[in-house]
Amino acid sequence: MAEIVVTGMGAISSIGLTIAENLYSLKHEISGIQKAKHFKSHYSDSLVFGEIDQSDESLLQELGLEKGLGFTRTTLIAIKAFREAITNAQLSLEDLASTRTAFISSSTVGGMCYTDDLYHDANMQGKPSEYVKNYEGSDHALQIVRLYGMKGITDVVNTACSSSANAIALGARLLETGKVDRVIAGGSDCLAKFTVNGFNSLRILSEEPCKPFDTNREGLSLGEAAAYVVLERKADVSDTKKIQAVFSGFGICNDAFHPSATSDDARGPRMAMELALKRADLKPEDIQYINAHGTGTPNNDLTESFAFSTLFKTVPPFSSTKSYVGHTLAAAGVLEAIYSILSIQNQEVYPSLRVEEPISDFPFQPTLKYTPEVAIQHVLSNSFGFGGNCTSLIFSACI
Amino acid sequence: MTTNREELIVEFKEHLIKYLNLLDLAPADIQNDVPLFGEELGLDSIDSVELIVLLDREYGIKIKNPTEGRQILVDVNTIVDYIIANRTK
Amino acid sequence: MYIKDLYAISPQKTHDGSFENGDWLILNEYIYKAIEPSYQDIIPNAQLRRMGKAVRMGIGVSLPLLERNAKPDGIIFGTANGGLEDCIKFLNQIVEYNEGTLTPTNFVQSTPNALAGQVALLSENMGYNMTHVNGSLAFESALLDASLFFDEHKEEEKSILLGAVEEISDYNYNIDRLGERFKQELISNNELLNSKTNGSYCGEGSTQFYISNNPENSLAKFTAFKQSSYLSQNEIGGFVSDFLKEQNLTISDIDCLLLGKNGDVSTDSWYQEVEQLFGEKPKVYFKKSVGEYRTVSAFASYLAVQILNGKAQHLIENGASAQPHTILIYNHFDAIRHSLILIQK
Repeated sequence: MAEIVVTGMGAISSIGLTIAENLYSLKHEISGIQKAKHFKSHYSDSLVFGEIDQSDESLLQELGLEKGLGFTRTTLIAIKAFREAITNAQLSLEDLASTRTAFISSSTVGGMCYTDDLYHDANMQGKPSEYVKNYEGSDHALQIVRLYGMKGITDVVNTACSSSANAIALGARLLETGKVDRVIAGGSDCLAKFTVNGFNSLRILSEEPCKPFDTNREGLSLGEAAAYVVLERKADVSDTKKIQAVFSGFGICNDAFHPSATSDDARGPRMAMELALKRADLKPEDIQYINAHGTGTPNNDLTESFAFSTLFKTVPPFSSTKSYVGHTLAAAGVLEAIYSILSIQNQEVYPSLRVEEPISDFPFQPTLKYTPEVAIQHVLSNSFGFGGNCTSLIFSACI
Repeated sequence: MTTNREELIVEFKEHLIKYLNLLDLAPADIQNDVPLFGEELGLDSIDSVELIVLLDREYGIKIKNPTEGRQILVDVNTIVDYIIANRTK
Repeated sequence: MYIKDLYAISPQKTHDGSFENGDWLILNEYIYKAIEPSYQDIIPNAQLRRMGKAVRMGIGVSLPLLERNAKPDGIIFGTANGGLEDCIKFLNQIVEYNEGTLTPTNFVQSTPNALAGQVALLSENMGYNMTHVNGSLAFESALLDASLFFDEHKEEEKSILLGAVEEISDYNYNIDRLGERFKQELISNNELLNSKTNGSYCGEGSTQFYISNNPENSLAKFTAFKQSSYLSQNEIGGFVSDFLKEQNLTISDIDCLLLGKNGDVSTDSWYQEVEQLFGEKPKVYFKKSVGEYRTVSAFASYLAVQILNGKAQHLIENGASAQPHTILIYNHFDAIRHSLILIQK
């Protein structure tokens, strides 16, 4: 099958408004999880969030967009990350408008991020709000399609927390089967009362910044992010363009156990990793680093560790970069894919922050400190979601 | 406010059926000493959170985390005893 | 992609098969509600008690299909909005209880992938599992995903449960009404296309297909499909003829047209453009049956399969031809997102 490569990346998160800023924070162990400045909620004071430090107004201004036209925060951060990715991959406006270019995005909160406007419109409390036509999960993608005059295949997936990992896999499949020549894939989710209260109602939010793989972890921290990668077939990439990494394989399956928890034997996570290895034609021992799903909930970190213990004879270095940015939901898969690629490019491992007492159920522990000079050829990146959706991606160095 | 224990049991079961949407169950179908999270009713972790919401909204009882909840949410008897001792409304 | 089996819950009596056998309901409502079967025999009570309408309708279609077919290798759904009723119920809790102690069931059920997840759980299916939420092209995206899956597994026999679901809640009805997508005045579905006003009527339902790469005993096949967004009205003719060219077909190869005309005078002209291209052909205006919703093209596909198998002939307008062999579906939503689906015997 055709070799698929990443030729561009763009990301905005609580640890940086660009890829370069994200990398700086990763290297310097700077966490973005803290009290929110822009997000207004009953929980703004009592909980911590991985909030992007840029207001809606400032985003609108920077992107040169007019106020009052239904641009939600989900859309604004998506446009910003999209721009960085296409610039990085040197895509022209003609490339973007080509029917041979696909755009695969993802979001969970989508256009329903302004909870109060939605409440107003859904209950018909007066004149329609600015966002009355923008509540769909696909709205952010449709806005980008309109802005860039994209004419090719578009799609938006929602498999909860594995969404953008699936967007990347779908993009690669479109390239492998020759349906298109280039794909922009990723996702966007901003902080919203809807998701904060949703996760809070499930009692899985941590009051303190999350500490994935710590024995005393108390839950996850929510974050917001948007990130996109540009994928192309290696054979089509011109010599002047930099190849960021090879996308070697993916595994997608369902845990078929519970709507919001992972099975005790972690059969879904294990199967996703096995399928990814098989598709990449690799063995477990070929993996030098795992960017774990690692949400910080008691259930996830235990079951994911269990899956590692059954799949790997020796578990390679692993960490959860959600300790930097929180759980960014639909954007998590692509953001962590980008962090995995940065790990490969810089031959270094970004740690699980704040771990004081590593999870003691297994004879291995996460990487606790920024570790440079690690030989990394292949990285496995996990994303598991509500509804049992499990996805693992493998990225490799470009030789 | 219901103060009689027997009446409270019936009232609580009615809330239980409503909050958990236990289709075709009547209060009399739920035994007071049968574990709620056992085979009989087949309730799960999401139901335990729904129960915490029930206690908050109907009886003004705040249970902070599910671990604490597990000690209280055993069967109808234990919950009703807890309501009697801790209710704020 | 060969269609082996199909089932639908819709505002017409598809749940018991009488619709395709000639039954016709006159709908005189603003909201075309789906006629749901009794779920007691289909869905276990322990699960049913939590399900919102979208998940319930979806499972109500999935489980009978899974019962009469072998375990599929994947489950792929398209839905623009998923369980919106649960979603807004949760939203209302957020506002009315001022972000206090809230019940999680609505939140868990409101995620659009809840249906595909529940189907996997109830049928113990660990295979490929995907939910597309690409608005009014969500079903087309699910079709694309399924076609990729079969492209990747050419050597072995594979099957997929493919479908779509959309529900009406008071809330999304309100939102779309504020967005001026629905008519203010009431006329019956029989008169829908004679309307001289903007907007349409709101429908809902779940349509699913059991599809395979093995042609044996198939009812029909999804031959091809195409999507585009923000086409201008002058571009639509080219969009259709390019599609036919790509499939090595000409206008005369299309035996029957299924069109998404919905009685909205502001956007029905796009359909007229396509009708003119084809001249006198047998036609079905499928939204007279079920109204407008974002994954209605799945229902149109269901009708196409029925028509190709000699059923649902009462829906064909402009004269029934000899038994049709090739059906083209054209649908758009708000004249923004357009799709073509080609289904053949």
